Amino acid sequence: MKRTQLYWEDVQVDQEIPTSYSMKLDATRMTLQVSGTQDYYPVHHDRDFARASGVPDVFVNTGFLGAALGRLLTDWIGPEGWLRTFRVEMRKMNLFGETMTLKGKVTRKYVQDGDHYVDADVWCETEAQGVTTPCKATVLLPSRG
Amino acid sequence: MSQTKKRTPEEILEEARAMIGNESRPRTDPYPVEYEPIRRYCIMVDDDNPLFLDPEYASNTKYGSVILPPFASFGIMSGGSPQQMADYLTDPETPVMPPHPGEFVINMAQEWEWFKPVKVGDHLTMKGRLADVYMKPIRLDPKTFWFTVEMIFSNQHGEVVCVVRNIALSHRSPEEVAADQSG
Repeated sequence: MKRTQLYWEDVQVDQEIPTSYSMKLDATRMTLQVSGTQDYYPVHHDRDFARASGVPDVFVNTGFLGAALGRLLTDWIGPEGWLRTFRVEMRKMNLFGETMTLKGKVTRKYVQDGDHYVDADVWCETEAQGVTTPCKATVLLPSRG
Repeated sequence: MSQTKKRTPEEILEEARAMIGNESRPRTDPYPVEYEPIRRYCIMVDDDNPLFLDPEYASNTKYGSVILPPFASFGIMSGGSPQQMADYLTDPETPVMPPHPGEFVINMAQEWEWFKPVKVGDHLTMKGRLADVYMKPIRLDPKTFWFTVEMIFSNQHGEVVCVVRNIALSHRSPEEVAADQSG
């Protein structure tokens, strides 16, 4: 269970975030979504309700996306890292039956007021739709200096 | 929001915009942050981070105990379900959720800022504010309502632990849109 610590000096601009992973949005995952977020709004689990609202199918909720994106980032930055700010845009729905892949890329690293920051673009994508959920994150990392 | 269906979207928007700046009464969670909701939350996405799951491991980190994953907010930080959160935001005495003509609500964006870790055992207080509401068309509904609600979470020491701005839309069903356009 021990985790490796990432240091600011180890990060390079344009590098991909190495904790990328994929997840199938099957019926079990959609059920876990309701359990984990306690979000009972039926557009996320009731296919009839979702289709009646005009969307193609049920899709994962914002809380689920946050958890999935949070895993990508907190696995990367380690126990001494701190997620400082985050913006997520739900541009397309991550639909039941799709496989969602979470990725990221470092865009900037800098020191401000003595703190060591890294900015990154992170996103969810699916094979059929491409990028569904673009995000921007800023993390604080420990420095070896 | 069915009580508003007989009015036109424009009339509802006028009422909604008059609410901009409304703040909810602070709501202190009756329960502390607990292990079990965090465990369920992590299982949901196969997150095995011991910082969120292993008290012994976490006790040897700089936090000294298990902390809440960064996005584990509304269902966990609020100590209740999203329905309870919705009830809180529409409290007749201090509503921050604007009325809207459609019954279908979709979150479109969220902005998060974190200041302090939240630990198991913390008691959290939240407060909401309606920041904006306007009408802008989407493919499904030419009279879609968009609204931004800010939520501020603080701990038992009065320290702000995080701020979330949620941007959501509300649209009508295809049948309601067709009826509006034909009427």
